[in-house]
Amino acid sequence: MALTDYQGSAGDWRAQIKRNQRKTRLVITLFLLIYVGVGLLADVIIVQSSYQGVTASQALSALLSFKVIPYATLTMGGAALLSILITFAFYNRIMLLGTDSREITPKTAQSLQEKQLYHVVEEMKVAAGLRFVPKVYIIEAPYMNAFASGYSEKSAMVAITRGLMEKLDRAELQAVMAHELSHIRHQDIKLTLVVAVLTNIILLVIDLLFYSIIFRGDRRNQDNRLLFIVMMLRYILPLLTVLLTLFLSRTREYMADSGAVELMRDNEPMARALLKISDDHATHAEEYEKQYGDTAHEELRQASYLFDPSTIDPVKSFSSMFTTHPDIQQRLEAIGFKRKK
Amino acid sequence: MGKFLLVLIIIAAVAVFWGIGIYNSLIGLIEAVNNNKRQIDIQLDRRYKVFESLIAAVSKYMDYEKTTLKEVVELRNQAQAAKASGDEQARITAENGISKIASGINLVFEQYPDLKASQNVLQLQEEIVNTENKLSYAKQAYNDSVERYNAKKKSFFEALIVNYFPDKLNKEFEYWSLPDEQIKAREDYTVKF
Repeated sequence: MALTDYQGSAGDWRAQIKRNQRKTRLVITLFLLIYVGVGLLADVIIVQSSYQGVTASQALSALLSFKVIPYATLTMGGAALLSILITFAFYNRIMLLGTDSREITPKTAQSLQEKQLYHVVEEMKVAAGLRFVPKVYIIEAPYMNAFASGYSEKSAMVAITRGLMEKLDRAELQAVMAHELSHIRHQDIKLTLVVAVLTNIILLVIDLLFYSIIFRGDRRNQDNRLLFIVMMLRYILPLLTVLLTLFLSRTREYMADSGAVELMRDNEPMARALLKISDDHATHAEEYEKQYGDTAHEELRQASYLFDPSTIDPVKSFSSMFTTHPDIQQRLEAIGFKRKK
Repeated sequence: MGKFLLVLIIIAAVAVFWGIGIYNSLIGLIEAVNNNKRQIDIQLDRRYKVFESLIAAVSKYMDYEKTTLKEVVELRNQAQAAKASGDEQARITAENGISKIASGINLVFEQYPDLKASQNVLQLQEEIVNTENKLSYAKQAYNDSVERYNAKKKSFFEALIVNYFPDKLNKEFEYWSLPDEQIKAREDYTVKF
């Protein structure tokens, strides 16, 4: 498929970025609501088991007016804060695990292409007004992909496969690097880590509640409605949190695409690069599937990749609700390229 | 009565903190604009140094007019003088002159097919593209920061705070742009082979 099959327009990156910031705020609010909700549910159960004959609504209103201190909710909040801080402190370049990679600097660049790669990252850094140049890595792999990680001078990095570097021209390479740099300046890694930590704690707490109710010896003053709610949540929450996480991931991909257009003030190179990468993956599907499979810890990078390799395998991507990335048509449309009928 | 007073105090405290927040973010935006303006100077300076060494390297390989180097130095001096006297237009004209010389170097390469293919020349061209790109992206980043500052300054609530501290918060920044007659000339320009 070539770019000539698309109706090009300037695209409105400002509107796109605003739209996706709104979506992000919505998802984060929902996550916090779920978090507090689960915390309060735990508190209601604790209150009911320590005071005899209290109804759920009485317990809830006592908790909300702080007549009874909501210990579980506060503990969960503290636990989340602590885990997030620990994750931020120790999260440092686990993303390159299992790949054959090398850092590129002006001194270690071995060819003109590698030099050019470093140059385009530097140019995008100037355009973004970033205070540091992220570390640039090249991964020795034939498939076309790239990803970014980190948020600070110490942790920020962009990585690109040799296949991608060799098959793109300068402008396309720049668009890809602008996309990756946008992930860094939008602080997407922080967001992903926070959501992952919150999800884990939510699921842990709901499991704890479930087992504590099931295995509680004294069942006489048991509120059956609460048991029912906990059981329902135990099935709904894992699915809901996954869907929300994926929705957030797609939102941040759209934002990074628009961020790349913002930095370059040109949407065509980004569109060309996306099409080239998706076409290349389609033509070399079998070969690449094997190569992705041969690389260890590939699942760590899957969500961060510029292009989601699991779309090679049609079984895995049966529904757009369950993908980390929007499909290529939607991504092109968001930056101003509409498929001709 | 006591309750009413308490509510009033809380509202006043929130308003004060909000105001401080707006004040601080405006100061941050102003300094970002200042820094981005200096970034343009840094890139101009870098370009001058890169081109000087490029021309010195190129003239070793071919009989490229040695005067080019002198021209660059002279244009640079003009730009510096104009900057010192605050004449933005003369400065922009001089800096544009340097850009023209850069495309001149590329034209010289076209006349020597063997040379054009050589790795050294490809590297030189990459250096030139990189340098020119950095300069234009620095200008773009400057304009972006002016946009952010102006939009914030003129927004509602922010404008009220700006009114209270006009000499600290109310700055006028010019967008980086070409003079009108140059825009016309650039628009009419086409490549002639």
